[in-house]
Amino acid sequence: MLNKSIVRLAVPLVVGALALTGCGDSGADGDTIKIAFQGPLSGDNVALGENEQNGVKLAIDQANAKGDLGFKLEYVASDDQGLPDKATAAAQKVIDDESVVAVVGPAFSGATNTASPLYAEAGLVTVSPSATNPTLTDPKNNFTSLLRGVPNDSMQGAGMATYYAKKLKAKKVYLIDDKTDYGAGLAGVAEKGLKAAGIEVVRKSVPQKTPDYSATAKDVVNSKADALIYAGYYQDAAPFAKKLKEAGYKGAAISGDGTNDGKFIELAGAASEGWFLTCPCTDATVEAGTKQFAADYQKAFNRAPGTYSAESYDITNMIIEQIKAAKGKVDREGLRDALKKATYKGLTKTFSFDENGEFKGTDVYLYQVKDGKIAYQGNINQLAG
Amino acid sequence: MSLQEFWDYLVLGVMLGSLYAVIAIGYTLVYGVLQLINFAHSEVFMLGAYGSLIVLQLLDPGDSPSALASIGFVAMAMAGSALFGGVTAYGLEKVAYRPLRRRGAPRLIFLITAIGASFFLYNLAGKLFGRDPLTLPDMYENRDVFSVFGAGVNITQMLQFLTAVVMMVGLDLVVNRTKLGKGIRAVAQDAEVASLMGVDIDRVISRTFVIGGVLGGVAGFLFANLNQVSYTMGFIPGITAFAAAVVGGIGNIRGAMAGGVLIGVVETMTVPLLGDEWRSVSAMVVLILVLMFRPMGILGKQVGRAA
Repeated sequence: MLNKSIVRLAVPLVVGALALTGCGDSGADGDTIKIAFQGPLSGDNVALGENEQNGVKLAIDQANAKGDLGFKLEYVASDDQGLPDKATAAAQKVIDDESVVAVVGPAFSGATNTASPLYAEAGLVTVSPSATNPTLTDPKNNFTSLLRGVPNDSMQGAGMATYYAKKLKAKKVYLIDDKTDYGAGLAGVAEKGLKAAGIEVVRKSVPQKTPDYSATAKDVVNSKADALIYAGYYQDAAPFAKKLKEAGYKGAAISGDGTNDGKFIELAGAASEGWFLTCPCTDATVEAGTKQFAADYQKAFNRAPGTYSAESYDITNMIIEQIKAAKGKVDREGLRDALKKATYKGLTKTFSFDENGEFKGTDVYLYQVKDGKIAYQGNINQLAG
Repeated sequence: MSLQEFWDYLVLGVMLGSLYAVIAIGYTLVYGVLQLINFAHSEVFMLGAYGSLIVLQLLDPGDSPSALASIGFVAMAMAGSALFGGVTAYGLEKVAYRPLRRRGAPRLIFLITAIGASFFLYNLAGKLFGRDPLTLPDMYENRDVFSVFGAGVNITQMLQFLTAVVMMVGLDLVVNRTKLGKGIRAVAQDAEVASLMGVDIDRVISRTFVIGGVLGGVAGFLFANLNQVSYTMGFIPGITAFAAAVVGGIGNIRGAMAGGVLIGVVETMTVPLLGDEWRSVSAMVVLILVLMFRPMGILGKQVGRAA
């Protein structure tokens, strides 16, 4: 009796084990190379993640479609919801997949901060199209696998400060950060720039997901500031913009790339009118170099490219170029070292990095919400004059 | 802070507080009859907001509806949120709590079930309605209609405050003047004796949930007017309102109202004095102080045994 039941148990176990090993074998296909994207693909700021994801996908699909690779590229999505506490799991998922050789992302600064030590240990290169907190490339961090494909917030914050000081001649600026790594970093730089220009600054922190912005809006009006900087993401900028309008705020308002998305206008409605938005990114639908890209993107995803779509596309192509140069025979460390030294002329700008992985380049662009659309204005320093 | 600014913030605080009060009533009612902290109430609130959004998207107010149409849209949206809130709360009671009650499950199991139901509902909402935040369409042109102590009050705020007051007064009348109210009070005091006196406990509990759900749902709609609609919107107002219910004395309806307004005013006053990041901290400090000196809450008294 005993033997029989052992056999009964053992048969399915053995069959199961065989099936599992079978799976393992079929998964390791030598000719498939994977490129991952890590960013918010669900959660509160999902639009910012999707913009980038689509850029990555488009680049991979186009490379595969050309048919001259000699290997097959595959896209891997890793969702961190833009949150630091979800970033570890998201990074580990990518690292555990051995056929992933490079990561585009992480998209947000906080998540990058958490995930980068893991990537550094794994030797897996990450090129972020949008994590702009200045401290990320501090050599003390030892984020040896992190490359930044975008000028950091020092440039964006300084650009905002210059624009307010020179162009709008602001006297008093109300400066808000959203307590995220991104918002606090951006606000810190802007504060320095404004103070250097002799402008009075009221600095406040308003955490993300504050349920009611009425009191804050009132505080802005009562402070008699003639200009405002909101350093945070669109999800919170939108209700805040609405409350500001209700409170009767008449001054200028500016926000950074975290707000630079059509979703901001959709959520804030008429209250978004007149808001300035900065971004180290160009408008893919306006700039001549990205017209074709914008059309392809529209065709593939049935919408216009958003913030950092074109930059993500460029970064992915830069990675693909390096894989091609190695004829598809790449390991993680090799690709990382190659990318660190690479110079790539993309559609949006030329990508190259200093020894800390920091982007070499300083251009920041200004946008303004006009008639319910984000209108591209041009290089912020040139506009400030 | 100048005197005028003080009035400005006080008015804003009372408005916000009246919303917390309406949500807090949901916690208090359920606690009164079941001795259960219904942590899924924040999801009832969230789904109420989606209910009004769905109704408004179906009706589509367009760019500038007339005054009469505006009233219609607001009424329909409110009805939608009340329906969603009520149905969710009814369903919760039926699916999550009643079977436990039938089996005489211990208190702790109810609490765990409540948290589980909350997780389930908000993730379900994220799946169904998308995880992007959404905004209610404009139903009217929001402008100041009158002022209180020099503080301007706009249409949204007026709507928020009046609705809250009407609902609270109405509930107070229901509980104190009607047969259902008598039943609720009886079950809250001693369910066993109430059932011996011929009160149908299941029916009373189920209706209590529906009332709390309707109030919570409408509060969700009003809150969505203040901010926006998202599947995670329930958590922070839910926790704050729970604190308000405890501050007022959990199980006590008028206490929940008082606690809600108190917490709303304290939170709002914190913004100019200490800054936004201290809002929740000061609300919780109020909670701690009240619990230290009056553990049963401001208006609380010894509550009855559980059903």
